[in-house]
Amino acid sequence: MSTPQLSRVRVTRIAEEAVERARLRVVPRTRVRAPKVPFVMLVSAILLAGVVGLLLFNTTMQQNSFAAADLQTHADELRSEQQALQAEIDGLNEPHHVAEEATRLGMLMPVCPRFLYTATNKVTQACDEPATKLPIDAPAQARPESLIPERTVVKVKPKQTTKQADTPKAGATETTRVGSHGVSSTN
Amino acid sequence: MNTRPVSQFRLRFGFLLIAIVLSFYGARLVQLQAVDPANYAGKAHLEGEEKVVLPASRGEIEDRNGVALAASMDGLMVIADPYLTSPKAPALAKLLADRLGIDYFTTLAKLRKTTGDGSRYQILAHRIPATKVRDALAYAKDQGFVGLSTERDPIRAYPLKDVGANIVGFIGQDDKVGPLAGMERTFSQQLAGTDGMARYQAVKGKQIPLADASITEPRDGKPLRLTIDSDAQAFTQWTLAQAVRNWKAASGVAIVMDSHTGELLAYADYPTFDANDPQATSKDYYGSKGVQEPYEPGSVEKVLTLSSVMDSGHATPETRLTLPDVLVRDNWPIHDHGRQGTVKLTLAGVLSRSSNIGTTLSAETMDSADIRDYLTKFGLGQSTNVGLRGESPGIVPAAPWTDITRATIAYGQGITVTPLQMIAAVNTIANGGVRVSPSLIEGSATTNTGAKVGTSEATATRVVSADTASKMARMMETVLDPEEGTAPLARIPGYRVAGKTGTAQVNENGRYLDNLNENSFVGFAPADNPRFTVYVVLRHVNGGAGGLTAGPAFKRIMSYMLRKYGIPPTDTTATPYETTWGGSGTGNLHP
Repeated sequence: MSTPQLSRVRVTRIAEEAVERARLRVVPRTRVRAPKVPFVMLVSAILLAGVVGLLLFNTTMQQNSFAAADLQTHADELRSEQQALQAEIDGLNEPHHVAEEATRLGMLMPVCPRFLYTATNKVTQACDEPATKLPIDAPAQARPESLIPERTVVKVKPKQTTKQADTPKAGATETTRVGSHGVSSTN
Repeated sequence: MNTRPVSQFRLRFGFLLIAIVLSFYGARLVQLQAVDPANYAGKAHLEGEEKVVLPASRGEIEDRNGVALAASMDGLMVIADPYLTSPKAPALAKLLADRLGIDYFTTLAKLRKTTGDGSRYQILAHRIPATKVRDALAYAKDQGFVGLSTERDPIRAYPLKDVGANIVGFIGQDDKVGPLAGMERTFSQQLAGTDGMARYQAVKGKQIPLADASITEPRDGKPLRLTIDSDAQAFTQWTLAQAVRNWKAASGVAIVMDSHTGELLAYADYPTFDANDPQATSKDYYGSKGVQEPYEPGSVEKVLTLSSVMDSGHATPETRLTLPDVLVRDNWPIHDHGRQGTVKLTLAGVLSRSSNIGTTLSAETMDSADIRDYLTKFGLGQSTNVGLRGESPGIVPAAPWTDITRATIAYGQGITVTPLQMIAAVNTIANGGVRVSPSLIEGSATTNTGAKVGTSEATATRVVSADTASKMARMMETVLDPEEGTAPLARIPGYRVAGKTGTAQVNENGRYLDNLNENSFVGFAPADNPRFTVYVVLRHVNGGAGGLTAGPAFKRIMSYMLRKYGIPPTDTTATPYETTWGGSGTGNLHP
């Protein structure tokens, strides 16, 4: 059984040729092969640059770490030096030192204060005592037991056969060791 | 071509062997990665880890002007490895002795100790300034010596040596024991701070960048600023030492107080010690006797008694009294020093001549409980909470008192106080009747027991009226009068000075000793506008009197303070009260 064929009637239209020209057609696919070498080189270059950069970065960091450690050591030394110099200044400013220097220069300490009023040239009442040296010669401090040497005390027995009771008898000595605070102390 | 057939058995055996070996690797891998990976990672981490203690800086103790009384310094201990040092021990010992100031023979023995304990580790010196050690070790290295190393060993220095040593205290040689005395010990927690810690991966001591690292920053200790003026403190100590020596006293205390704020500008104990070398002095002298050892104050107490009598309205400075030669209470006779026969004195005269009988009669106008209340308000019988260790509250006997107890307390026997309590009490008169609690620390500080002390915690309490305080100050000026008073040696020409002497017998085991006194003098100046209050106490003086022994020391210390702080005379004239009266009658003191 055959299907009746529809005959297509070609109708001439207005500007048929122009329409025919404007109709889109599938063009054949053209394959352009990009060169691989530049891409590979670019990627390689980037990778290389990254690796080298990381290496340099690490190296720099390491060097900085060493430099930081050295600088810290130097800073510690400078701090110690500054502390030592400050201690020296403190020693020079210490009241005993200043007082000793003043005394060495012949300076005296007035007992009472006096004021001169510059507006009236009036001077307050004079002191009833002369100026004196600074009382810096404090007495020796009490020492602990451990710094007091033991004393060797020799007790001498008097001769029994003579009237001279204070004459020691040869060989009749008794030696004991006591602290300086003992009853037999000679200190 | 000659091909050799492969044995199936050998091939399978080989594969089996390889599989067994690989299975061990696999099992180990599973163990490492799955069973306890953190533990192994931690161990690997520790291999190259460095732990460094970041030391907290101990807070300074400084005076009111910022002068360091206690400061921290970098210090090092020097360690030798005798195994390496013994070949050149004599030369190295000489070098170290010269450069570090250590003993040659001890060092030589340590450098040669190649047997027994410590044969690889000998500590040659403790707490040497870091600069000194580094210089010495660098020189030793240049000279070819080996086997020396260092460890951190911080130094606590006391630049002013004995100045304020009894207050500041010191740190001992043993770090485990901690500070041994004074504020170094009392405020140890505040001063010490907390050490930090740095952990990082390192190679040969240098940190590996980008590796794991953690730092716990140290927290430095807080400084402690005292109200003390170090110059005034030094002068006060020297003057006190001279007075103690001149009068052969057992010990002494001298205190300078700002009359308005209660701040202590100087607080001297004698004997004292060098805080840099405390072992050179007996440890009996490490503390602050000014607060630790109460004593019977003697006639200085009369200022408080008579102020109470006047403030309660029982008498005025002009009140007339007739004083007998002897007064008997509870079968105990009471005498006045150096006086015989009956005398007519005003209340002002009772104070200026320091009459025990007059003070007793005046005190008897009041109930003993009322007198005790006044004394308590003056601050006796309770700690001043100034921040010094071992403070004693003293003893004010509980009321009611017997007649003889009331009498003796009235003139300062049978009651115990500390010098700090007494200067704060008398300063109440200088400060217009308001007692300000004494302070030794600027701002606020917390002791190890949690107590807050300092100027921020200071309190002001009215004890007597301003009128009473003013009258008492005028009465106290007469004490320094060459004719009427007991302390002419404490006068400062040009200035109005108010003061009171104290001469108390020493009580030992319930018995008062003859010719052994607690001599003291307290006063303030200028009397009509007080700036400083000074108290000098000489303990266990063989005879003497407060005006004779402590008075001159007061004069020197007060003069120094007036000069240093530029306090001119007030240019006013004193208006002393009459000290005696004439006419008939027995006076107008009524119970």
